[in-house]
Amino acid sequence: MPAVHGGRPFRPAADVRPGAPDTDFDNKVRLHFMSEQNRENRPFVDVVKVTKVYSPDIVALQDVSLSVDRGEMIFLTGMSGAGKSTLLKLISCMERPNKGLIEVAGRDTAKLKKGEIQELRQQIGMAYQDFKILPRHTVFQNVAMPMEVLYRPGREIKERVNEVLEALRMDHKKNLPAGKLSRGEQQRVAIARAAVNRPALILADEPTGNLDSEISTLVMKLFTELNEGGSTIIIATHDSSIYEGTSHRVVRLEHGMFTA
Amino acid sequence: MSRLKYHIKQTWRNLGQSWGTQIMTLFTVSLSVLIFSFFLLIYVNILAAGDRFSDELRLVVYLDHEVVPEMQPQIRKKIMDFSEVENIVFVSRKEAFERFRKQLGKNSDVLDDLGPEIMPPSIEVSPLRDLEHLSQLKEFSDYLATLPGALKVQYGQNWVERFGHFTELVRMTVIMSGVLLVMATGFMVSYTIRLTVVAKDAELEILRLLGASSSYVQTPLLIEGLMQGIIGSTLGMALLYALYTWAAGRLSGPGFLRLFDLTFFSPLTACAIILVSIAMCTGGSLIAIRKYMRI
Repeated sequence: MPAVHGGRPFRPAADVRPGAPDTDFDNKVRLHFMSEQNRENRPFVDVVKVTKVYSPDIVALQDVSLSVDRGEMIFLTGMSGAGKSTLLKLISCMERPNKGLIEVAGRDTAKLKKGEIQELRQQIGMAYQDFKILPRHTVFQNVAMPMEVLYRPGREIKERVNEVLEALRMDHKKNLPAGKLSRGEQQRVAIARAAVNRPALILADEPTGNLDSEISTLVMKLFTELNEGGSTIIIATHDSSIYEGTSHRVVRLEHGMFTA
Repeated sequence: MSRLKYHIKQTWRNLGQSWGTQIMTLFTVSLSVLIFSFFLLIYVNILAAGDRFSDELRLVVYLDHEVVPEMQPQIRKKIMDFSEVENIVFVSRKEAFERFRKQLGKNSDVLDDLGPEIMPPSIEVSPLRDLEHLSQLKEFSDYLATLPGALKVQYGQNWVERFGHFTELVRMTVIMSGVLLVMATGFMVSYTIRLTVVAKDAELEILRLLGASSSYVQTPLLIEGLMQGIIGSTLGMALLYALYTWAAGRLSGPGFLRLFDLTFFSPLTACAIILVSIAMCTGGSLIAIRKYMRI
């Protein structure tokens, strides 16, 4: 009986019981020969028995499996150090797993070449826990970066950046250097940058960590709109207020493993 | 946003972020081009002066007896076997005597009691007017001295040798300043790009995470090197032209100074120097990008 979080079943992508036959890898081989059309029907993010160990022997994730469907929004919860950020980094190809398989948009991330990783990352909007914004660039310049990377027309960039900043009530500060902002404002800049391109996949790492409840609501509203527009969203958070009573799936990580 | 427009915008941003270093690089590129072009211009002008000088340069082979017309083709062939020449003239005693009389002008009456037998017959050889042939005059002269009946070979030996040595010195200077140009421009541009890369480390990291393509990140830096090359070398060439205009007004003149009648590079040569400098600057930035960038 699968565990139920937030009203939806938690579907492990593989049988992770000790000693269970490792049929998933056979399945993956088969799936690689599937047509592009079939890929559309597969989970958008598929994490299969992934282990990540940091030197010397810190186990961040152990045999973790998770499938996220295209257009789904899920909450990844757990205490600090549970492995939430690590999982997001693995999905966004910032890091590589020691063991296991990660597929995003039907492609095994371990087999992607440099150019393919760049293409994949263009489809991912990530709001980092440490923001990763450029303090000397203006708010507008920071938020516009993902669209500039795709050489979007200037007018389109302007319209969309203003739209997102307005949604997060940051439009009045768009010409200020990002380094001059408070942490909460910088966090909103990071979220705006992740959302500006309407990416296929949004990974948000503690997106409301520095925000008050009113702004948190705005952030969740933006995510919900993007999700309704077709974006797949994974939100790592330990802020229960943003997922309490949600109709979306909630999965919990503890000590590098999913718990029921 | 069109790609070119973006790349230009990004290049402009880069230039604005490190304008101090950019100016230093421009200064170095300009100075290197100026130094190299300066010595090259001197060399070119010396060659031109050599050409003018060689117009009047002849090797005169004095003979103990006249060369009969039947023998002249053989002598001519013997000379041509050693080196191609512009002209060979056989001068008889009588012709030499008449020339001498003309040279004496009003005083030619001193020759009235004398006959052509006082003048030695000779062969006048005009070498080709290029530096290669001029620099071999000594060997050529030694060879001419071995011709049948040759008594002595005369030409402005000391002057030509000194001229040859001086030309060689300038040629070495041109080569060395060329090496300086290559090293200075390549190194400085590469160093500037490296500084830009280091200064933009955080930005490059974020761009990498956003999936920026290699061309997206690298093209502005390449344009930066290209612009340093275009502006720096054009400025260097313009400075040299200003220097030339200034010097030409003072050194050119009649008489002996005419030997140093200055000329500037042809437009083709000037463009070639600028293009080579641009290529080196762009190459320097390409090397730095390959070496220091992770994207």
